[in-house]
Formats: sequence, structure tokens, C-alpha cells
Amino acid sequence: MMAVELGHSQRSFRWRRRPFRYVRHVLLIIWALFCLFPIFWMVSTSFKDAGEWISWPPHWLPQDPTVLNYKQIFAFAGADTGLSRSATDHAFNIWKALGDSLLVCTLSSLAALMLGTWLAYCVSRFGVGGRNFRYAVLTIRMVPPIVIAIPILIYYAILLPYTTEHVLGRRISLYDTYLGLGLLYTVTTLPFVIWMMLSFIDEVPFTLEHAARLLGASRFYTLGRVVLPLVASGMVVTFLFIFILNWSEFLLALTLTQPGVSTLPVLLNKFQSAVEGRLYGPQAAIGTIITLPVLILGVLIQKHLIKGFSFGMIRK
Amino acid sequence: MAWLGRDRLFRLMPFIMVEALFITLLALPFLLTIYISLLHWRANRPFEQAMFSGLVNFEAVLADPEFWAALGRTVSFAAIAVSIELFLGFCLAMLLAKETLGRRLYITIFLGPMMVVPVVVGYNFSMIYVDSGPLSQMLAPVLQPFGISPRIRWLSHPTAAQAAIILADVWQWTSLTFLIFLSGFSALPQELTKAAQVMGASRWQIFWRIELPLLKPVIVIAVVIRSMEALKLFDPSVLLTFGGPGTATQTIAFYLWRQVWQFNKFSFGAAASILLLLLFAVVIYGGIYLLVRERTTLRHEGNG
Repeated sequence: MMAVELGHSQRSFRWRRRPFRYVRHVLLIIWALFCLFPIFWMVSTSFKDAGEWISWPPHWLPQDPTVLNYKQIFAFAGADTGLSRSATDHAFNIWKALGDSLLVCTLSSLAALMLGTWLAYCVSRFGVGGRNFRYAVLTIRMVPPIVIAIPILIYYAILLPYTTEHVLGRRISLYDTYLGLGLLYTVTTLPFVIWMMLSFIDEVPFTLEHAARLLGASRFYTLGRVVLPLVASGMVVTFLFIFILNWSEFLLALTLTQPGVSTLPVLLNKFQSAVEGRLYGPQAAIGTIITLPVLILGVLIQKHLIKGFSFGMIRK
Repeated sequence: MAWLGRDRLFRLMPFIMVEALFITLLALPFLLTIYISLLHWRANRPFEQAMFSGLVNFEAVLADPEFWAALGRTVSFAAIAVSIELFLGFCLAMLLAKETLGRRLYITIFLGPMMVVPVVVGYNFSMIYVDSGPLSQMLAPVLQPFGISPRIRWLSHPTAAQAAIILADVWQWTSLTFLIFLSGFSALPQELTKAAQVMGASRWQIFWRIELPLLKPVIVIAVVIRSMEALKLFDPSVLLTFGGPGTATQTIAFYLWRQVWQFNKFSFGAAASILLLLLFAVVIYGGIYLLVRERTTLRHEGNG
């Protein structure tokens, strides 16, 4: 219906629009190339041999494609990769970094999603927390993470061990632990969950819940069986969104977990400062591995992002 | 009555849990930071023996020219990067607002950079700016006739390094402004434009008189969100330049990180982060105020 109308109006404007059509595509293609180039360069570098990483003139495509970089970071081949001792030490860590990233990101995103959805439901239906709660929650997200990181470092590494030693007689530190990082990720993504889930739950009509309540369903049953199935796709989008945020988080992971827990972005940074100069190839391989799942998830939720990102500001 | 109690529990439970998390993980550490900022303490000495020193740390921060330089640099980076991103994002969204050939493919590609992990963006651009990297090669045909060697160390020059950071930021976050504007354009009501067309308004008039005013809330959102994020700039400056050359790309977040994690100046860092939070509180309050105002005016128009 809409398309037909549009087609008609376009026809009347056609004489004015025709030259612009080509300009439009030229501009769009230039921007598309600009968007794709750094990603292309990274993937291309990840398949290059050591001599080609920074050769002059640079090779746009690897002349002799090799998976050696991937072998090195996953340490498949062991000794024959030709890397020095410290580099192989790093090499054994990618499995751990991958596992750590997956574990911390998945669990903290799940925790934030469940808590945030429940709270969003209560805020939407009962006005818990006052009228401007949704904006108050957003302020937490706007605080720069470095300002959070310094207090948290002091808290995790000094105050907690200090107090637990006096009270319980044992030093308990949250510095460099899964729990410490996970809790922080939960707190920093909660505002997003509340904000996004509010916009989804606000759309669900009251009447269904009233009916369920009249039939004698408990609050929990109503929430779980009536409301949540209606916002299930919204929950998936929210989960993927905050998972991507946690997956790419760098500052908090860098500052609060040094030797023990290490996420993938921190691992990439370690390769940067490795002793024997920069290992461009393995870095490119790690970068590709970090980026790939997120790009795929992003393409999956893209349609929902376009719909959801006006934050309900414009109404049709 | 038991039923009522359980109902109230259901309502207040998540609120209490979330508030407890916020208080133990954000408010309590922050009170501790205020206390520590009043001490004279470095990480290499035990915490219990630190001397109380009043406001000396705050004075030291305010007297440090590097603090102000880093703050000014962050604000100017943010201003330049955000205005470029808004302009480009708006133009791209406008080009793709109507159905065109390959629209979905374009959108998928344009949203790509947003999904790339910021650390990886820093790494990617450091690859591109290498003296024997693709940027040098692309400029080679232009530079070689003048006898300039194309193998320029881009990141060794302060201005070029600053431009490099801004370019990396523009590359990544134009996709977000594009996304926000695109969702704004797709939510525009068609009836008004139709009516204006029928009444003989030109494309130009339709854009300035109808579309732009309707898009104002979306523009405010984009400005607020992007400015807040741009002021936090940290990842690319670690991976791309490590604050260098000299302190040319040292943002405020990087400056603070360096004071605490490289120089172990805990009390100094605590004082600086309190001052920074106070400054940010003003900005955040302004941003939230703008968001709320846009939303309420919209509600009124919607009802009326």
C-alpha cells in the first residue's frame, strides 16, 4: 500500500531526482568501503606470514596465505611456531581468556537481564522508585568508567581484605576474581536492561494481566507466563546488546584483573606490549576472533536495533 | 493479609536488590574514595599508617597543568568527533531514509563498525597508520612527485596522532548516530509529508519545516548519548598511541589511569576522580534534563 503511494510520488519528482540517484550511490559506496576497510585489513593481516606484516609496499592480500597466526595463538603446533618463550606463554592464555570472557560475560549479562526485567516490570506497573526512576538509573551509565574503577580498585583490593581480616579473621579480596568483575559488569549494564525492558513492557496491555490475576494466578505466575512470553524477543535483543557491551569492555577488565582473570580485550593489549616488538599477525588473529561473534550477533539483532533505538521518542 | 505482604514483597524485592547492588558497589566505594582523597597515601605504604592531610590532594590536582590540559583535550576531541559523527550520520540516514537499491545491504555494512570491539578498532587503526601501512601507500602517488618519502610515521606527530584518534572514533561511532537517525527517519509520519506535497511544498521546504522539527528529539538523543560516550574516550588512546607522542593524545580517563596504575598515586587519583565526577555531574544533569524535556513536550503534543 505504502510502496504504491511512494512509487507514485516518486514518479512526479523523477525529473528532479535522476542525477541525484547516481550521486547517492557513489556517496554510499564510498562510505561502505571506508567502513569495511579496517576490518578487511585486519582479516587480511591475520593470514599473512611474519615477513609480510609491515613490508613495504604493503600487500593488500596475503601473497602466501597461512594460518600460522591462528596456530600460534591457539598453540596448536607447539614448538614449531618459531616464537620465543614469552610469546608462547601468551599463546597458552588465549583459551583461558576466551573461557574467562565467555563465563563472565554470559553470567553477568544473565544476572543483569533477570534482575533488570523484574525491576522494569515493577517500575512499569507499580511505579516503584518514583516517577523519574528511569532517568535516575540512566545517570549511572553516564558516569565515566575510570571514575568507577578507582573507588572499586581501592574497595576490592584494600577495604574488603582489611575489614574481612578484622571481622572474619580471613583476608577476602574481590580483586582479580570472576565474582568481582562479574558483579561490576552486572551493575554497569543494569541501567541499559531497565531502560530497554521498560520500553518493551510498557507496550504490553494491562488487560491480559488483569484477566490472569482475576483467574487466581499469582504475581510470579502472571509475570512468568503472561508478560514475559510477550516480551521474549525484547529480552533476547537486550541480552545480546549487553553481552556485546560486556564482551568489548576494556577499562574495568584492564584495571581490576591483572594476572588471574583475563578477558580477550586485555589479552589483545598484552600482545601489544610484548617484549619482542609488536606481533601484528597474532594480534590480527585475536582481533578477528574477538570481532567475529559480535559481528554475527549484531547482524542478527540489527532489525530490532533500528526499531528500538528511537527510545520511543517518536510515535507513529 | 499474608497475600498483601507477598504482593508488596514482589514489588519491592527487585528494587531492594538493585539498590543494594548500587549502594555496595557504587556508593560505598565512593565514600571510601572521599576518605582516601583526604589522606596522604601511596600504594606502596600500608593503608593504616597513612597521614591525614586535609585538602592537599585537591589543591595538587587543581594546580596540575596536565589535568587541565587533558580535560581540555578530551572536551575538544569530543566536540570535533561528535559534530563530525552527527553530520555524517544524519546525511547517511537521509540518503537511506527512502527505499533505494541495496538499502538493506548498506545498512548492514554501515552498522558494522559499531559492533567491532573498541580495543580492536584501536588495533586496526594502529595497523593502518604504520609507516609502511596502507595509508602511506595510498598517499604515495600524491607525495612521491614532490620528493617526500611516503613512509610517514603518522603517530609520531602530535597533530596527526590527534587526528588519528578522532578518525578512529568517527569510523566507529558514526554508525551509532546513523542508527539513531535512521530509526528517527523511519518513524516519521508519512501523512504530513504527503499533505505538504499535495499542497505544493518543495522538497527543501518539507525538510526544513516538517522533517527537521519532528526529528529534533532524535537529534537531542544522539547529541546527549554521543557526547557522554565521547568524554569517556580511553580504549583507542591506549591501543593506538598510549597517550603519546608526549602527552598529545592523553585524554582525561587516560591521565587518571596513569596517575593511579602507573605512578601509584592513590590519594591524588581519588581526589582527581571526585573532581571529575563533580564536573561530570553537571554535564550528566544537563543531558538528562534535555532528554526529559524533549520527552515531556512530546507527550503533550501527542495528547493535544
